[in-house]
Amino acid sequence: MSEYLLEMRGIIKAFSGVKALDGIDLQVHAGECIGLCGENGAGKSTLMKVLSAVYPHGDWEGQIFWQGKELKAKTIRETEEAGIVIIHQELMLVPHLSVTENIFLGNEITTVGGIMNYEAMHQRAQELMIELKMPDINVALPVSNYGGGHQQLIEIAKALNKKAKLLILDEPTSSLTRSETRILLDIMKDLKRKGVACVMISHKLDEIAEVCDTISVIRDGRHIGTRPMGELSVDQIITMMVGREIKNLFPREAHPIGEVIFEARNITCYDVDNPQRKRVDDVSFELRKGEILGVAGLVGAGRTELAMAIFGCYPGRYEGSVYLEGRQVHIRSPRQAVQAGVCLVPEDRKRHGIVPLLGVGYNITLSVQEKFSHFGVVDQSEEMQTIQRMIDSMHIKTATPVLPIKGLSGGNQQKAVVAKMLLPKPRVLILDEPTRGVDVGAKYEIYKLMFDLVKQGVSIIMISSELPEVLGISDRVLVIGEGQLRGNFINEGLTQEQVMAAAIGQAEALAA
Amino acid sequence: MAATVKQLQRIFTQYKILALLLAIIAIWAFFTWRTEGDFFTARNFSNLLRQMAITGMLAAGMVFVIIAGEIDLSVGSLLGLLGGVAAALDVFVQVPLPVTFATVLLLGLLIGMFNGYWVSYMRVPSFIVGLAGMLAFRGVLLAVTKGSTIPIESAGLVEFGQGYLPFMLGNGLAVVLFVVLALITFRGRTNRRRYNLSVAPLWQDLLRLALLGGVIAGFVVTLNSYQGIPIPVFVLLIILGVFSFVARSTVFGRRIYAVGSNLEATRLSGVNTRVVKMMLFGIMGLMCALAGLTTTARLAAASPASGNMAELDAIASCFIGGTSMRGGSGTVLGALIGALIMASLDNGMSMLSVETYWQMIVKGSILLLAVWVDVLSGSSER
Repeated sequence: MSEYLLEMRGIIKAFSGVKALDGIDLQVHAGECIGLCGENGAGKSTLMKVLSAVYPHGDWEGQIFWQGKELKAKTIRETEEAGIVIIHQELMLVPHLSVTENIFLGNEITTVGGIMNYEAMHQRAQELMIELKMPDINVALPVSNYGGGHQQLIEIAKALNKKAKLLILDEPTSSLTRSETRILLDIMKDLKRKGVACVMISHKLDEIAEVCDTISVIRDGRHIGTRPMGELSVDQIITMMVGREIKNLFPREAHPIGEVIFEARNITCYDVDNPQRKRVDDVSFELRKGEILGVAGLVGAGRTELAMAIFGCYPGRYEGSVYLEGRQVHIRSPRQAVQAGVCLVPEDRKRHGIVPLLGVGYNITLSVQEKFSHFGVVDQSEEMQTIQRMIDSMHIKTATPVLPIKGLSGGNQQKAVVAKMLLPKPRVLILDEPTRGVDVGAKYEIYKLMFDLVKQGVSIIMISSELPEVLGISDRVLVIGEGQLRGNFINEGLTQEQVMAAAIGQAEALAA
Repeated sequence: MAATVKQLQRIFTQYKILALLLAIIAIWAFFTWRTEGDFFTARNFSNLLRQMAITGMLAAGMVFVIIAGEIDLSVGSLLGLLGGVAAALDVFVQVPLPVTFATVLLLGLLIGMFNGYWVSYMRVPSFIVGLAGMLAFRGVLLAVTKGSTIPIESAGLVEFGQGYLPFMLGNGLAVVLFVVLALITFRGRTNRRRYNLSVAPLWQDLLRLALLGGVIAGFVVTLNSYQGIPIPVFVLLIILGVFSFVARSTVFGRRIYAVGSNLEATRLSGVNTRVVKMMLFGIMGLMCALAGLTTTARLAAASPASGNMAELDAIASCFIGGTSMRGGSGTVLGALIGALIMASLDNGMSMLSVETYWQMIVKGSILLLAVWVDVLSGSSER
């Protein structure tokens, strides 16, 4: 008998000849929480997909022992029956179905003849909500009524309902607000006490440090080390992950700040489904030449909507005006925005950033193809030269520029999307969560690039939910809360507490 | 075992066109054997290509529409309508031939753009817009022809459907085509070298050119040994050349693929995606006009039933030719080879006097199988 709940031995998984995993070992005790760390593309998600039989047994080499017996699962259903449940980074809920229906999707309680037994299901769902300290959720309402944080917890309820003994969480907090993250972490600790083991994949080392007992680092498909949490400092973990030392996470550089170049006045956005509700409420601000303006706030505060309105792509009704160098510019579509010199790198890379089937190169030149064309015909050599220049200068790792971009890791996709928005030579660049789901190394490169740009006189608006990032990079910080401008701070001696207090509307209390 | 299947899959995905050509060779070999050689004659080859030309024109337009993630079900009815208009202009109004051509082509473009306007600006799903057009255009055609066939006499129009290119012209064009292909190849090589990009070994390019030359020569010699290159086939070849160029080398072509693969990301990159979509349907309309003119010319009459179910042949050709059902990938050449496969089946089975109902069953099965093979090869996975 093995002493472990789970033991993975020598896992090797190759994609068309390239080894994504090269002999990984992982052991988990019952009730243990393991933090799995590594750069994007290191193989974390692949390893978890092997474990949960997204890649069925036989598709990879090595062995998995579950409660002492070898597990040869061919389908996700088999692993779930064994008690291994994975919660993916992108939530897998059906928005139009109710909370209850989502929790029981695929495991419905039925009466004779396959008729849904709603009474029993609602009752069980209610119990789960109370167990997860969310008694306010109405389990009969559609999931789309609740925000990202609650949806994450509903996913966990779904997993618990399947009697999970091992929970795999892939970047569970990447779209959560601070308070939602708090609740999630508390619940994870709670589950641990009840004997549920978990594997947590995350880039947020402080969260891993809080909940995990053990940390396991992989790099380039290889197992680098597994140590008790207490033995390692954050710096040491980062060093293990990237294989090099990053002394300073934020390569802040001095740069001159000029006159006001851009102004947004009285931006108001109305909710698409509920036109009475204001998502952004009369926000005005200025931006100086060569300035990095951080926009902080909780998820759902209206920051992305503000950016979309400026870029001319807010889907609902919106008002307000935009001025560039003192002159009002008319922006009602992304096309007009790009032509005016305002570019946006969107938050949702998969949906709004990349064109998956196009090559990396063509993604990069998507917004400026006219520049290489004579009477509509593209000069491909000239284009290829520009592509090569961007790939080199942004350090985008790709086998060839014609490789479809969907094959790249998240960090490299993000760099390509940024490159696409640099080619129109923007005067104002809006970056919406530029480092979300991006590994430490790529983050560092993106920050460096931002400083290079402001030195050349580009002005940057950076929306970010990570306060250390906002404080580490910005010259000035705007705080948005519930659609309103709640604070405008020069970033000198500014603390996370001050920003957070403003975001939740407690600034006066703090000042008093 | 598993490894060989994987390898086969990879080869199929990489050389999809090659797989299609193999399918054609198999089909031709089968019919040649069953017809004791009658299938594989210059005369039948000429007929086969002429039959394929109309479906090919529609498929060439349709492949762009499908790559962009849309569909157009109205093309059969629009073909019939525009063919009817051509006949009406020729017989009732008796305008000169160039005026008939110009009017019908312009009308096709405008009606196509009208469809596109409803899809891209009014945001009605293209499936519905197509269905509506399928009904409405057929209705207008019935009104124009008053439900009866309009025979045409204008020799010029009939020549467009039934005529051949003079031998010398065919030979000359083949030589010009080969020289152009050679020039493109060598210009590409020098350009790539100038920009320090990797250049394929010379023998590879030369071998490719030699193969292409062989195909062109074989094609022209075979057709000339009968009566020459049929004019509709010549038109289709020009469309193939122009459209392939548009797809590969123009801003518009690139945008078709981008729009089909991720509409939102393309729009947020500052591309006017609505214009792209509207123009795609415009091109589709233009192809309907050409196909309508060819149909009327070939039959020397406009029938109220012409173009019936032509949309299905065109769509099937695209999918057999490896166009992705979810948009974002596909080629004009593939779609035309798909059309050639469909035409070969039609032609061969007719020669064997297979009953019509069997022909339909066989074509339906082939479509299902072809797309299944495509799914197996993993090319439609995201």
